[in-house]
Amino acid sequence: MRFLRRFVARVLNSALRWRDDKRLQEEMEEHLALQAADNVRAGLSPSEARREALLKFGAVEAIQEGYWAEARLASVETLLQDFRFGWRSLRKSPGFTAVAVVTLALGIGANTAIFSMVDSLIIRPLPIQHPFELTYLAFPRDSTHFDPQFSGPEFRQLRDQTRAVFSDVNAVILGGLSDSGDRADGLTVDGVTRPTQTLFASGEFFQMLGIRPYLGRFILPWEGDAAGADPVVVLSYRYWRTRFGRDPNVLGKTVYVNGHAVTIVGIAPKDFFGPMPLIEMEAYLPLGMMTVETAGNTDFLTTPGTRNLLILSRLAPGVSIQRANVVLASLGPQFTKQYPRPGAGTTLQARLLRPPGLIDGPNPFPPLAGLFLTLSAMVFALACLNVANLALVRALSRQREMAVRAALGGSRARLIRRLLCETLLLTLSGAAAGIVAASFALRAVSSITTASELPIVLEFPFNLRVFLFAVGIAVLAAAIVGILPALRISKGNLSDILHEGGRSLTGRSQRTRSVLVAAQVAGSVALLIVTGLFIRSLESAQHADLGFDPTHVLNVALDPGEIGYSQIQSDDFYRQLLTRARALPGVQSASLAMVVPLGDNVPRSEITIPGHVAQHGEEPRADRNAVSPDYFKTMNIAVLQGRDFLDSDSESSARVAIINEAMAKRFWPGINPVGRNFKRDRDAQHPIEIVGVVRNSRIEDLYSSFSSAFYVPNSQDYTSAQTLQIRTSGQPQAVAAEISALARKLAPTAPVLSIRTMSDAVRNGANGLLFFNLGAKLTAALGFLGLALAVIGIYGVMTYAVGQRTQEIGVRMALGAPRRTILMMVSRQGLAIIGTGLAIGLLTAIAAGRLVGEFLVGIGPTDPVTYIAVSMLLSAIALAACYIPARRAMHIEPTVALRYE
Amino acid sequence: MGRKVDVQQGTLALMILKTLEVMGSLHGYGIARRIEQISGDLLAVNQGTLYPVLLRLEQEGAIRSEWGTSENNRRARFYRLTRAGQKLLQTETREWEQTAAIVGRFFQVKAGDFS
Repeated sequence: MRFLRRFVARVLNSALRWRDDKRLQEEMEEHLALQAADNVRAGLSPSEARREALLKFGAVEAIQEGYWAEARLASVETLLQDFRFGWRSLRKSPGFTAVAVVTLALGIGANTAIFSMVDSLIIRPLPIQHPFELTYLAFPRDSTHFDPQFSGPEFRQLRDQTRAVFSDVNAVILGGLSDSGDRADGLTVDGVTRPTQTLFASGEFFQMLGIRPYLGRFILPWEGDAAGADPVVVLSYRYWRTRFGRDPNVLGKTVYVNGHAVTIVGIAPKDFFGPMPLIEMEAYLPLGMMTVETAGNTDFLTTPGTRNLLILSRLAPGVSIQRANVVLASLGPQFTKQYPRPGAGTTLQARLLRPPGLIDGPNPFPPLAGLFLTLSAMVFALACLNVANLALVRALSRQREMAVRAALGGSRARLIRRLLCETLLLTLSGAAAGIVAASFALRAVSSITTASELPIVLEFPFNLRVFLFAVGIAVLAAAIVGILPALRISKGNLSDILHEGGRSLTGRSQRTRSVLVAAQVAGSVALLIVTGLFIRSLESAQHADLGFDPTHVLNVALDPGEIGYSQIQSDDFYRQLLTRARALPGVQSASLAMVVPLGDNVPRSEITIPGHVAQHGEEPRADRNAVSPDYFKTMNIAVLQGRDFLDSDSESSARVAIINEAMAKRFWPGINPVGRNFKRDRDAQHPIEIVGVVRNSRIEDLYSSFSSAFYVPNSQDYTSAQTLQIRTSGQPQAVAAEISALARKLAPTAPVLSIRTMSDAVRNGANGLLFFNLGAKLTAALGFLGLALAVIGIYGVMTYAVGQRTQEIGVRMALGAPRRTILMMVSRQGLAIIGTGLAIGLLTAIAAGRLVGEFLVGIGPTDPVTYIAVSMLLSAIALAACYIPARRAMHIEPTVALRYE
Repeated sequence: MGRKVDVQQGTLALMILKTLEVMGSLHGYGIARRIEQISGDLLAVNQGTLYPVLLRLEQEGAIRSEWGTSENNRRARFYRLTRAGQKLLQTETREWEQTAAIVGRFFQVKAGDFS
């Protein structure tokens, strides 16, 4: 209380520029008069009495100073003074200032950029009302996996049974992920169709979020209960901006989703990307409009076994998630008895929507964030070390100046404060430049995803949290950089320093700097090795054997089902398309596939194999793809045994399949699987005969080990969504126009969902290299920064250290020392420091490597190539840093060197 | 002349509070005189240093001041203890006594006491 009161009084006094000179003046006058009167009474003459009184009172100026210091926030004024002093002294050495500010800008900028990403992926809540009340419901599968999908009847029952703990319960369906198709929906505007990420939401969804539309209206509470009844759509702001150029007249316009007419009624707010992490929802439709994906089928609303719905709910006011979970857990067993859910537990749970967000399995963001924050912290530490070194050197050369100041009565605390203010000024300038640099870097990162077709949101708007972070680490940097020089200066013995005559490299400061250089080398080695591992890992992923050849292949995603084609119509469409495509000049082969590797979600089938006993309760499963004849030729996947599919494998003929090596090895080890049978559990009455074995190829991702997979003829496993794949002799893009013209001629309104090359899909697909690229670019950027800092730091410090010995070298040369000996002498000292740093750095890298091991592909965390390359690189830099100044010193005339001061 | 003792700021504040408790309302010079008298002139107080301390105590609310008339009929600032000051004095006194007692005990300890 007392402190607060006093503080307020002082702040007020400072603010009002209070200077009650008069009061103190009067009090002092009175004091002196009374004392003088007493003195006169004691027998002194009046003038002597006055003098005595003044003596006894003390230095009036100092007391006034002290009085005002008490009266207001004295520090504000003196701080300003200190900053002004700092500014002047920085301006006097522009070289030092420039290098230090740039170095700090790099360090702080890198950290701000990384933090900004972490902030937007992990920390920042959804831009909705009370975001931490929003949950989703799920049954646990194991400790990290959850089953968050529910059927229509389940949703309605849960909504009614949880009114006590939830104020709102809504269901959403993520478009494009239903059982039938596996592809974003197509949105057609004026005859042009583009794949669009949709979200089908029950009526009160937006009301639950508590947000306002940017334009128009949201879905209304009574919309979406009936299948296909409310043909309206709300677009995301970003989608509206890119596709409609922010045209406000789109409200009321009719567009087509998968060929079904819907009316645009509203635009979502600017910063709202939907409830999922990373993926932006581009168009919101009422739940019942899911029929545009299911071709009129209403199972998703009515059939208990069709589980497409995610349930999002808002905790009722005053209800904690723990209490909600107690209630839900008690509902679970009865509920699962009513709606059986094999493979999942019975403890129904509410989980916070963010963090971590609707992610099945372990959340990948925190470990990734930890990794990148660690890397950027290392860059930061290196930057600080660099500047600390520079500042130390500068401080030593200013020791005399400081000693003079101290001798003239500057208090030690004040001197330290001045230096710290100077450093703070430096780091804050660094932070300002760093923030600018970070915003450019982030813009570059955001632009990476525009190469991808997926509506991935990587936008990092600058916010207060990020700003505070930047300022915070700037202050931290000031502490790290400033403390050492400040202590050195204030500790020095005045007379020693004043007598030393400027040559002030004492043994202790040498040692401090040696430690700093060793730390610099160690940090650089560790950072460069970790980033090197990542870059090598990306390289190995890029050159990894995919099992298929992505070059010269064009993928054309089609779905005539979206405009209501029946199976017969769509079969006919594809047959004609295939025939004509194969006839085009430059086309080597053409085929159809349900699943394109490294992009689409891969359907998995439970299978039964005669004679195979499932081990430790695990169901035999395999990835499935339905393809046309020539698929393996188009993808260049080697058929190892048996045959390719033929046109004679039709719906009416015997079921056949081609399996991959992994499946052959797992279920028929050591025997020829061709001619053997297995069954899909979904279709148990039709045994499938294996007619061929193909090489393993990448299907879902680039890094996990090959899993069992089988291919069936697409004539025996119908879906309307197919990708036409064309292998060309020339550039695959060259036939793109002809192919889409062909498709449009055959089915004028059927959307061509996307045309892209297979290479592009591998490079920019979400399951392909997109995130690898992103991660590798980030680490490469950090590594490059680290390298630059290492070069500047090591070179600068070594140069300085050797430069300090110019005189000594001159003496040795004058006395006839051969150059080689001198070079040896200089290098030996450098090498000892570098060797120590290298050793520590390597050990640190091994420890850090263990942490990053799980993110590496194709190489181990102790990849010798990386370790050796980095060690050699840094040793070379350090040796050059020793050699160049040493050579310069040797070429100086001894007479010049001796006079060198 | 005996060696004079330096006075720490905190101690000075405590002395001021105690003086005001005993004497009621007093002006700056009076406080200084009183401290001098009690310490038997052993304290080397630069009398002027009193005023910053008085100001601080006032800002903390431990004392209050108002203009009045001094013995020689001139305007002078009179200081008085507030209730908060009273409380502060009590706690400070207790703490001071404790510290003094502890330090005193240390000085009484002889080497043999530890064995």
